[in-house]
Amino acid sequence: MNEANARCDERTQLEQRVAAHPFLIGLSRHHIRLLADCALLTDFSAGQSIFRAGETANRFYLIEAGHVVLESGDDSAKPIKIDIIGPGDLLGWSWIFPPYKWHFSARAVEPTKAIFFYGTILREYCDKDPILGYELFKRMSEVMIKRLQRARAQLIESMTKA
Amino acid sequence: MSAGKANIEQRLGGHPFLKGVDARHLKVLAQSAIPTQFEKDQLIFKAGEPANGFYLIESGKVELQGSVLEHGPIATDVVGPGEPLGWSWLFPPYLWHFDARAVEPTSAVCLSGIALRQHRDEDPELSHELFKRTCAVMAHRLQSARRKLVFQGKSQSQPRPQS
Repeated sequence: MNEANARCDERTQLEQRVAAHPFLIGLSRHHIRLLADCALLTDFSAGQSIFRAGETANRFYLIEAGHVVLESGDDSAKPIKIDIIGPGDLLGWSWIFPPYKWHFSARAVEPTKAIFFYGTILREYCDKDPILGYELFKRMSEVMIKRLQRARAQLIESMTKA
Repeated sequence: MSAGKANIEQRLGGHPFLKGVDARHLKVLAQSAIPTQFEKDQLIFKAGEPANGFYLIESGKVELQGSVLEHGPIATDVVGPGEPLGWSWLFPPYLWHFDARAVEPTSAVCLSGIALRQHRDEDPELSHELFKRTCAVMAHRLQSARRKLVFQGKSQSQPRPQS
């Protein structure tokens, strides 16, 4: 197989995996292709750091398999677990708004497969194509509202225990 | 156009959440917007009730509260001037998750979520603008809730003084 064919196969596989991710179900083929333009397939081994608090946030991940722990990035003490992100979930919001820095650190707790999206480019695509923007930000809002409700419920629980 | 509607458009255009939204979209939003005021301690919405819209706070202060039987209301967040209040109208089951209570006399513009939900597939440009802004505010609030959780976690992991 020559190099051009191999690249073509890689691209087909990428588009298939982007289209199959639950977060993106229902998007048109055209939008899947645009998303694949800003995507890369990636793997993390157990214990591997995915991003660290304070670093530049220019990307997000759609988890396909495995689990990721989100924890406080304070090195001075034992990190505090904030959330667990699993298959079908989205990891990383800080690329959406200034100062584009990660607030927390993320680490794979087991071998993890994910699709990496270059958020900075995707944001430009969304501004040019509002239907894509609407579809993506609507899905993100839906995930975020659930995480926010969960975080607030945890907060209430921890405040009543304190 | 009535003076009232022109005034609402101006108030919407002047609200930081809608900064930069074009005049055509402000006009659409103004059609489903009404000005509203709350007194100190007035309940704005209650957990479990239908979520039919959201508020753009202009002045005053609102607390989001959860209640736990023996503890009474516990504030998880404070929403102030320039901020939007209420997301539950966006997605099924369209029910408020928490209570919102004005803790100061509060002035706001209320937008009908029912009208916006009906309109959202017809106008992806406006919907993109609104969801993009919503995501940014929600991400901030999520980070703030998580920071408080970390703080709680740290304070609870400190050894307590022996009594």
